[in-house]
Amino acid sequence: MGISIILIIITALLFPGIVTFAKTKIVGRKGPKIIQPIYDLFKLFKKRNVYSQTSGIIFQIAPIIYFATVFLAAFFIPIGNYKAIISFNGDFVLFAYLLGFGRFMMILAAMDTGSGFEGMGANREAFYSLLAEPAFFIIFSSVALMTGHTSFYDIFNNLHIETALSYFVAALSIYILFWVSMVENSRMPVDDPKTHLELTMVHEVMVLDHSGFELALIQLAGGLKFAIFGTLIYNFILPIQNNFLANLILFPIVILIYALLVAVSESYKARNKMQKNAQWIITLSAISIVVFLSVLIITEKIIF
Amino acid sequence: MNLILLIILMASLVYFFLTERTSNYVKILTLQGTLLFAIALINLIDISTLALILILLETIIIKAIIVPQFLNQLRRTNNLRRVAQSQVAVFYSIILIVSIIIISFFAAYYVKNQYIQLSFFTVSISTVLGGIYFIIIHKNLFNHIVGFLIIENGAFLLSLAVGGEFPFLVSMAVLIDILMAVLIIGVFVNKIGSTFGDMSISSLNKIKD
Amino acid sequence: MMIILYFLIVSAVFASLSFFIKNKILHIIIAVFYSFMQIGLTIYAYLNINNFDSVYFKFDSLSILLNGLLNIILIPVLFHSKYYIERHVATIKNRGRFITMIIILSSALSSIYFTDNVVLVWVCLEITTICVTFLIYHERYIAALEAAWKYLFISSFGITIAFLGILFLSVQGNNANEVSLSFTHLNSIAHNIDPLFLKIAFLLLITGYSIKINVFPLYAATIDAKTTAPFAVNAITSTALINGGFIAVFRIYAIISKTDSFKWVQNILFIVGIISLFIVSIQLFKVRRFKRMFAFSSMEHLALIFIAISLGKIGLYAAMLHLVFHTLSKTGVFLHFGQIRAFFQSAWIKDTGDYFKKNGFSALVYIFSILTITAIPPSGMFVSEFLIFKALFETKQYITAVLIIILLTIIVYLIFKHSMQLLFGKLPENFKQENAIVSKFEPVSQIFLFSLVIYLAYFPPEFFTELIKSVLQIF
Repeated sequence: MGISIILIIITALLFPGIVTFAKTKIVGRKGPKIIQPIYDLFKLFKKRNVYSQTSGIIFQIAPIIYFATVFLAAFFIPIGNYKAIISFNGDFVLFAYLLGFGRFMMILAAMDTGSGFEGMGANREAFYSLLAEPAFFIIFSSVALMTGHTSFYDIFNNLHIETALSYFVAALSIYILFWVSMVENSRMPVDDPKTHLELTMVHEVMVLDHSGFELALIQLAGGLKFAIFGTLIYNFILPIQNNFLANLILFPIVILIYALLVAVSESYKARNKMQKNAQWIITLSAISIVVFLSVLIITEKIIF
Repeated sequence: MNLILLIILMASLVYFFLTERTSNYVKILTLQGTLLFAIALINLIDISTLALILILLETIIIKAIIVPQFLNQLRRTNNLRRVAQSQVAVFYSIILIVSIIIISFFAAYYVKNQYIQLSFFTVSISTVLGGIYFIIIHKNLFNHIVGFLIIENGAFLLSLAVGGEFPFLVSMAVLIDILMAVLIIGVFVNKIGSTFGDMSISSLNKIKD
Repeated sequence: MMIILYFLIVSAVFASLSFFIKNKILHIIIAVFYSFMQIGLTIYAYLNINNFDSVYFKFDSLSILLNGLLNIILIPVLFHSKYYIERHVATIKNRGRFITMIIILSSALSSIYFTDNVVLVWVCLEITTICVTFLIYHERYIAALEAAWKYLFISSFGITIAFLGILFLSVQGNNANEVSLSFTHLNSIAHNIDPLFLKIAFLLLITGYSIKINVFPLYAATIDAKTTAPFAVNAITSTALINGGFIAVFRIYAIISKTDSFKWVQNILFIVGIISLFIVSIQLFKVRRFKRMFAFSSMEHLALIFIAISLGKIGLYAAMLHLVFHTLSKTGVFLHFGQIRAFFQSAWIKDTGDYFKKNGFSALVYIFSILTITAIPPSGMFVSEFLIFKALFETKQYITAVLIIILLTIIVYLIFKHSMQLLFGKLPENFKQENAIVSKFEPVSQIFLFSLVIYLAYFPPEFFTELIKSVLQIF
């Protein structure tokens, strides 16, 4: 029962470190230790918060709610045949809306600061996640249609990849999930986490005013999101592993590959022009519609 | 296998509206030509050898090699700008092309009968409509040729959908005709490029009354 | 028999000879021989009516009628090409090319008329596209390049659309033997074709070929083409080429007439006709060039023909008659335009004036031509237009008839208004008498053509009436 959430938490703690480490290796520098982000978290946890005078109560509770929703969302994710802690029919809808609710609180908090930059960032964040959401939903409704089940656990346990077309569907789904995770975490083609110019920021600008404990929560939530999406991708690659040990060995490998892919795409891709982001994200939805149509063909809802 | 090729073809159609680089258009046309070659090979393996060779020639040699080469040459001789912006924002184009694909599914179901293969039919309708839309949203003459070639690809798919097999001489004539048309269109675009110094349709306004 | 095959081979030889050999005498000889060959083909076809030839071809009454028309207009066109070449074509190389293109174009047109295969019609129409493009661009000036490009591109586009229509038509009963896509075969299986597919096919075909027929929806590019093309070229593209596109649609129409979709298709033709008439009556207000005006006049007549056909059997005789008269008279009009162009050294209406005083005889011929194309008695077209209205009244479409009469009145008024500038208007100041070219023999051919229209309308010979009546028998 609890193994999946434990694995996800471990992944969440290590993931940012692995990505940073790989990135430094790619550009040929000597990087920080993999567990450096954990030290940073502890350092931040010990600090006290600083609030500006214009901000109100929303600003103070938003990071906590944000972390709570992401953490709760992690409870929905199974790993292979390790059942998720919470699992019921249609749980992926609640999963998506939990993430949405957390983001909503963060957007509110950004508005609460009264800073023009943060409002702009909040605007972009809301717009991009609005565009990325259909892609996520279409993908999961497609696989739900394909398997005939509506909870994460049942979907992944009944996802039989047999025909050439279903391989195609799985490959495209992984591709889309990968990029959706990049959008969700405000990574490279949409947003550059390294940037220092507020005008070009999306996610980073929203958390500029947060400090201490709350900043630590936000960073931890970011790691958790990566871990959640990594786990979803893992489930797509290896739909069912009945062997206890096989899961334990394969999961880290897949997550490692995922982290490396994130690092590589961050290192070799340039950030999109701001106006191009919308079309780039809507393309993901377009591809997911292709997946949806293929699934309709597989399930013979459309008969050729 | 067939379906995968068709779906890739459909995805490549979407990509036409996503990218704004002229070199990418040529690449996608090459890809589509190759895909059509594979599709034709899989589906028409049973027809007479001569006709099969002709159709394979049409796809691989003309659609995937000669025409893209020719387009690239056209691009170079006219010093075409690398980015060809469309009249409509890419964002809306993508939404529209996806709706075109979905509409063509419905349309295919509406006209369905036992003589046509629905999968080809759907993709061909969306390709033809996509090609027309591509011509509409671009002002550059080069892109008009690209749109015309997209429509041609749709027509080829439709001929597969209806099991179209013409007498040998006739399909030969069709083949030569299409090749001639594309080459002459290219020659005229070259001519326009050198005469007007610009390949935009907006400079073609001399004969308005 | 393989007569048409031989004909095409000899045409190809002629075309390549005039393309490669730069000799003026040879060009004339080739043109004369080619005309004789065309006439020979028509006579042979008339003697072997309803026989098949060269696998894909068939001699039927409609094709013989149209090819005969092509012969009749080809001789004056080739004769006037002499004047065109003397005035506008500098190098002997280009003269040869001009003759080559005319030969290829008319051979392709003959094949369109005679062929019995849907796809072959398509192929030949594509060939005419290429020929006409080169002929439009023959004088190599900027506007011609633009018009040629537009014509080429829209035409290729339309042809592809028409190809889709052919594919829809070929959904049933298609196996790769020679007869599968012949009109004869399609006629025999018309009942079995899915009506929806027939309708889609017809819609696509009429859209695609409308650029050749010069009607709505793809009319704009061909109007532009006719605005810039040489007058001798227009004399063919505005007549024989229109007939080629017309026959391509008409044969499909004949197939559909045997099915239940007939009424629907008639409505389509009617809509196309009415919209075209509307467009003409609006566009004529702003024309400023003669050739454009005549091109729109062609559009008007074709629209009338479509409306007549849409009335069913009752309007068909009138439509055929109108097609014949339009072919003859429009050739004459464009050939006469060549003289106006030579006299005023300009194609614009504003550059002309006072034609009556300066060149009385030609002005009379011009009035004759205008009377002919506006269907005012004694013009022969009056007869066919009268028959069309008679058919409209007999089918009780009074409102339509009145609407068409109003539109025609506007069109006639506008054509006369523009002509008045030429005939009696003030001569522009930049007109130079010494540059004006007058040739006494040039109007002869037009008088012949216009008189022929009158003769065929009021004293139709037996074989002519029989030919048209046998066209109607395919229904």
